[in-house]
Amino acid sequence: MTSPDNVSPPEPAASPLRMSLPKTRGSAETQSMASSASTLPYRVSNPSVSSLFASTSTPTGSRPSSPSGGLGRSISLSGSVFGGIPGDSQQLPPAERPEDPRNLIIQAFIPHVAVHTSQDTHDLVKDKGFNGGLWELLRPFGERVQGKVIVRDSIGAGRSYDNFAVRFVQLGDGLEIPEGVPGSRKSEEGKGPSLNGGINESKSFPAQSSRTGGSISQIETLVDRHLTHAEDFPNMTGEDYLTFKENRDVDTASPFYTLYLRRLLSGIPLTPHESFAHPVACVIAISSRNTNPIETLRNLYQESSVGLKRLPLWVSNEYLRYYVLVHDEERDDIAKSMTMFDQMKRHFGLHCHLLRLRSSNCVATDDDSVQFPRSEWVTASEEIADIQEREMQEDIDGSFPCIYESDMTAIKTFIRGMVTQSVVPSMERCISTWNDQVASRRRGISGRFISLSKKWTGFGSSSRNSSSNGAGSGSNYDALQGFYRPDSPEAVMRKLADYAFMLRDWKLAQSTYELLRSDFMNDKAWKYHAATNEMAAISTLLIPQALSSKVRLETVDQMLESACYSYITRCGASYGALRSLLLGTELLRLRGGSATEDAAKWGTKLLEYKVVGVIGDALIKERISACYASKKGAGSGLWGHRLRKSAVWSILAADAWLTLGKPQQSKQRLDEASAKYSSLANKDSLSHFKMANDFSQGLGNEVQLALYPESSVEESGAIGDLTETRIAEESEDFDSRPHRRSLMGATVPALATLGSAPLHGTVMEGEGDLKPPDHFE
Amino acid sequence: MSYYFAIIGTQDNPLFEYEFGSSKQGGDGVARFPEQARHMNQFIVHSSLDIVEEVQWASGQMYLKCIDRFYNNYVSCFMTGGNVKFFLLHAPSQPASSTATRASTSIAANPTAPQTEEAIKQFFNEIYENWVKTIMNPFYQVNMEVKSPVFRSRVAAAGKKYL
Repeated sequence: MTSPDNVSPPEPAASPLRMSLPKTRGSAETQSMASSASTLPYRVSNPSVSSLFASTSTPTGSRPSSPSGGLGRSISLSGSVFGGIPGDSQQLPPAERPEDPRNLIIQAFIPHVAVHTSQDTHDLVKDKGFNGGLWELLRPFGERVQGKVIVRDSIGAGRSYDNFAVRFVQLGDGLEIPEGVPGSRKSEEGKGPSLNGGINESKSFPAQSSRTGGSISQIETLVDRHLTHAEDFPNMTGEDYLTFKENRDVDTASPFYTLYLRRLLSGIPLTPHESFAHPVACVIAISSRNTNPIETLRNLYQESSVGLKRLPLWVSNEYLRYYVLVHDEERDDIAKSMTMFDQMKRHFGLHCHLLRLRSSNCVATDDDSVQFPRSEWVTASEEIADIQEREMQEDIDGSFPCIYESDMTAIKTFIRGMVTQSVVPSMERCISTWNDQVASRRRGISGRFISLSKKWTGFGSSSRNSSSNGAGSGSNYDALQGFYRPDSPEAVMRKLADYAFMLRDWKLAQSTYELLRSDFMNDKAWKYHAATNEMAAISTLLIPQALSSKVRLETVDQMLESACYSYITRCGASYGALRSLLLGTELLRLRGGSATEDAAKWGTKLLEYKVVGVIGDALIKERISACYASKKGAGSGLWGHRLRKSAVWSILAADAWLTLGKPQQSKQRLDEASAKYSSLANKDSLSHFKMANDFSQGLGNEVQLALYPESSVEESGAIGDLTETRIAEESEDFDSRPHRRSLMGATVPALATLGSAPLHGTVMEGEGDLKPPDHFE
Repeated sequence: MSYYFAIIGTQDNPLFEYEFGSSKQGGDGVARFPEQARHMNQFIVHSSLDIVEEVQWASGQMYLKCIDRFYNNYVSCFMTGGNVKFFLLHAPSQPASSTATRASTSIAANPTAPQTEEAIKQFFNEIYENWVKTIMNPFYQVNMEVKSPVFRSRVAAAGKKYL
């Protein structure tokens, strides 16, 4: 199955419109985005490719499901009559399952550790078979730090987490690609000035820019690839869905949605308005091959702080440097390395580590080889590139990169040591310093006066605009370049809040974001304002505490509203808007009760803003349905449920999936919808609505037809001309769709029995000379 | 502005359906729902039953005002004493946000304005009157579909008069 156009360049493939659809379905948009996926080579039998799709093809429900969503919790819809006591506790159950959105958020917003190595270290790691350098070797292990990590919060109470993680990036990764707002100052704002040519040069590296997330279209392309795979190998997902259908509750999101969310949160771009991607520490590494170690380390440090690799001006330069000596076990003498390491310790203090690695390339047949784990948080473009590369590969054995077990242990120990002894303590120290010196001053009474006086001077002087580029009018915001300097109190507080968020101290994070919201508002720093509102809403929702619906309405809704307004209208940053609303929706849904209604409302808003593409659209419809479904009714009559709403959104999602040519997904949604309708008190109530009923029946027929062409053709006489055009159209796809070939045999006799003379001729003609489908209708 | 009016019985079954357009401000009284999305009206009204079943207990009024929204479609509801619900789905012809002329008084442009609310209330009240008269027919049983042409014309007249 090597197609001749193997070498066609990868381009965003949205929807291979394999399923031809009646024209009434508004498929114009999908057609325009359509089908370069058909030009992508398809290597069906390649196991290494299909293993890449494992994240979406293995059932998520097989994990032990904890009672997460709305189970076993008293519902409080204080706005409604079916509520219990208003303000009843909505204690959130602990997040256990990996696809729980809270878990995803916790794992997404984690400390970033930059890696900067010397050339000889790069060569050493390259000898091991990792072309990306030390960074590539460390990355998957950073995603789960071995053992428990104890973090002290602002009060001093220690809490231990066993799923703490850090993200390793290459120094300079994640610099935002300017968003495609042509000629506007808004896109400039996000980019900031690049001080030196070095950053600009490195930006042009395709590999580096592919490691920057934040591109919605890339995510859509990737999810579409996964979906196409699932459609082509339906028995994989099909059986899984059959086997665990019973315990599939509303809380189990479809694996594709989880993937969408995960990719949305991977590769958070390095931007001035939020400091999540700013490095918390930098690993500076040399290897034992280096002849002049101390000098090299100094040079590397210089490079990272003032030289070519200096991050943009808005990134604070005062992050921790961690010095690593990579010792080559096979070629170099350990005694020599030990003395070198001692020397390093004398020069640079405690933040040093000796990492002992073997330098030869490990293969699967070696004695103590283990498979190199795949990073779960690769960005969408990286994963697409990975999939394409595997499909191009000639050998079909799933050869994965391997690593010696001893190396793995060494790396894990190294990461654990670095995180527990250097990274976390230094973050804690930063938090307490900033909290004492900057934030608490603002919290007190005098702080109120400061902000008040700032507001009034700004209000009084009409010359505010003219002097706003400098330090005039009391604002630290550099409106011309669009950022705060890293040493200004606002930037420090934002960093404090982000650090607190990364160490899961939601309360401190929330109160700090809360302070910042009005500051950014007064300074008209809209992107900062949006991002702060977003994180304030998310951290409020993450605090495991009851939220009465009134408080929720006043805080969370307000924050989300201003976040997405600022993101979309003022900055044109659709990525930020999508992220804030999607996370807000998920977290609100978990709260249960009347919050689910809010969740659905934000989901609908998200659709109205039209920030997502077609795939995201269908997935969000699915989620809105789930939001409504997670509102459980009260009492025996299930009063106050939202099953009908949920079912409608399921049908809409099914319609969207079918338009995209994903009948498998469509079928699942339709089954859900009919299950919901039949669980109503009046089971067949929808069947009395003629048009609606016809529509859902028609949808069901089309899905059947798309999934099982043979069986449906037999009864096509009854279905009518819709079916006939469909058969004709499908016949064109025979060459591209091998496993449909069986239809060829079935079509002709079936049509012969139909005996509908005018259409008969067209069908044959269509089969012969492959006219585009538009000519029949 | 296009309207879809439906009467839903106690078993969630439709008893009467009628589509019409605005007659005010030069409207010709013809509904302009997109042809391929007409089924959505029924879906929306059916799903709004969820909201009605909750909202109906919150106030003692029969007219529940605008209870639900689906994209640009607004749903108003009126409960009769016999648990039969009147639904009016109104879809402004252009999105409410694009206020080029800012015609705040016109019902057609402002689906949530007090004027619109009042107009719909009068519309519902008139229909309720006619509805009671219609179901007083001795041959009528609960949850039977209403096919009376007289009733239909009265609904049309009410729509013309108020909306």
